[in-house]
Amino acid sequence: MFSRRTRIILSVLVVASLSFVILDLRGGDGPFSSARSAVSSIIGGIQSGAALIFSPFTGASEWWGTQVDQSGQIRELTVENERLSSALVSSQNDIARADQLDALLRVASVGRYLVTPAEVIAVGPSQDFAWTVTIDAGSLDGLEADMTVINGDGLVGRLLKVYNSTSTVVLIVDPVSSVGGRVAGSQEIGIVSGTGRQNSLEFQLLDPLGEVNPGDAVVTFGSKDGRPYAPGLPIGEVVDVTGSAGQLARIATVRPYANMSQLSVVGVVVKPPREDPRDSVLPNAPVVTPSPTPSTTSDPSPANEKETAATPAPSGS
Amino acid sequence: MIIRQGLFIGTCVFIAVLIELTLLSRIGIPGATPDLVVVTVVAIAFAMGPVQGATSGFAAGVLLDLSPSSDTIVGVNAIIYLIIGFVAGFWIDPRDRTLPIMIGITALSTSAAALGTAIVDTALGGDRVNWAEVPWITLSSALYGVLLSALIIPLIARLARPFLPDLSLS
Repeated sequence: MFSRRTRIILSVLVVASLSFVILDLRGGDGPFSSARSAVSSIIGGIQSGAALIFSPFTGASEWWGTQVDQSGQIRELTVENERLSSALVSSQNDIARADQLDALLRVASVGRYLVTPAEVIAVGPSQDFAWTVTIDAGSLDGLEADMTVINGDGLVGRLLKVYNSTSTVVLIVDPVSSVGGRVAGSQEIGIVSGTGRQNSLEFQLLDPLGEVNPGDAVVTFGSKDGRPYAPGLPIGEVVDVTGSAGQLARIATVRPYANMSQLSVVGVVVKPPREDPRDSVLPNAPVVTPSPTPSTTSDPSPANEKETAATPAPSGS
Repeated sequence: MIIRQGLFIGTCVFIAVLIELTLLSRIGIPGATPDLVVVTVVAIAFAMGPVQGATSGFAAGVLLDLSPSSDTIVGVNAIIYLIIGFVAGFWIDPRDRTLPIMIGITALSTSAAALGTAIVDTALGGDRVNWAEVPWITLSSALYGVLLSALIIPLIARLARPFLPDLSLS
């Protein structure tokens, strides 16, 4: 049916892919870490360049709207006008990026996180069902695996793999991601896990009698040494609670603050704050004047707690 | 000839992977990511034959699996794209290589790739696949496959012509 050469080529390829699968499934560092890092250093550089070229298409979503309005005029416009409108698009794009960077700086300064800014240069296809993106910073920029990734709106994810100049980020909406969360203004803690859908997370309270209501904000609880998740970062807003108090499984649906399909400028928390910033990083949170001496003997959290409790829970952005 | 064909396949696959990961997966359209890689593999299979299709599918899958924005098991995409490339090249009847038929096969291929990834991933014990989303992903990837293939198949057929053995003699 097939020639001998066809059969040989096919069987070599099939055996090769199957053995790749078996080798990679063994887990651990595996034989593919060096291959992955080689591919990432080749592709990563090109991707950064390509991401820059494609940024007018991927950056601002409102760009499509302006482009449709202009389409009628463009036929009559001169080359000069085309040049001007493309300059306009790229400056709009720059403004949008500057806004995102501003918001990131606000989060970083309010919570006193030390962040390294980076830009998303590639996104894994949705057919893989994995919510992972590549950013253009890596171990040369001081990044290590399991660092927290944020943007101006809140928590984005954590670093999964770090290569020389690029890193892979697993987003909090990825089905394998789980983050320790705390309801802002209370002590209720739970696990926030990804669902694979870009605008919903599952928040399972550890205490089945715990109080959680739609509109509540959820912040990170924080891990040991701030890895993989630094404390006090806004995760999202509770939109729905299923199961009543006392039921074994109380699950709240949380909408993340960060828009996972429009990520551009992100920040990697290279150093978490010395103290948990509690709820101060949340959007429209009460402005808490940071105590000038962090080593004060009085516990700052009760005062902080009262201020937050006095205001209604932030309603998100 | 073999080396030149290999270079051509490698270049096409590399560019397709690059565009898919940096542009197509980020424009934020609903459903699946437009599967330029599968469309390219199928287009190569149509233009050059089943073995070339299988080879380009294998290369594309390995590259996609190893690229830094994916966290899949290495080899999964490789074997799925390999089969798709081979079947597409084998299936196309030389007598009716009309564009609508080729586009239809491509749409089947892109949805088979989406469905195949979900099945293999679940079979290998991955807990990422959300089966409620699978029908929609499969359907939308077929739709994007139709749109992309109308453009890519003629393009690859044109580009591949210098790398083919002279068909006019046979």
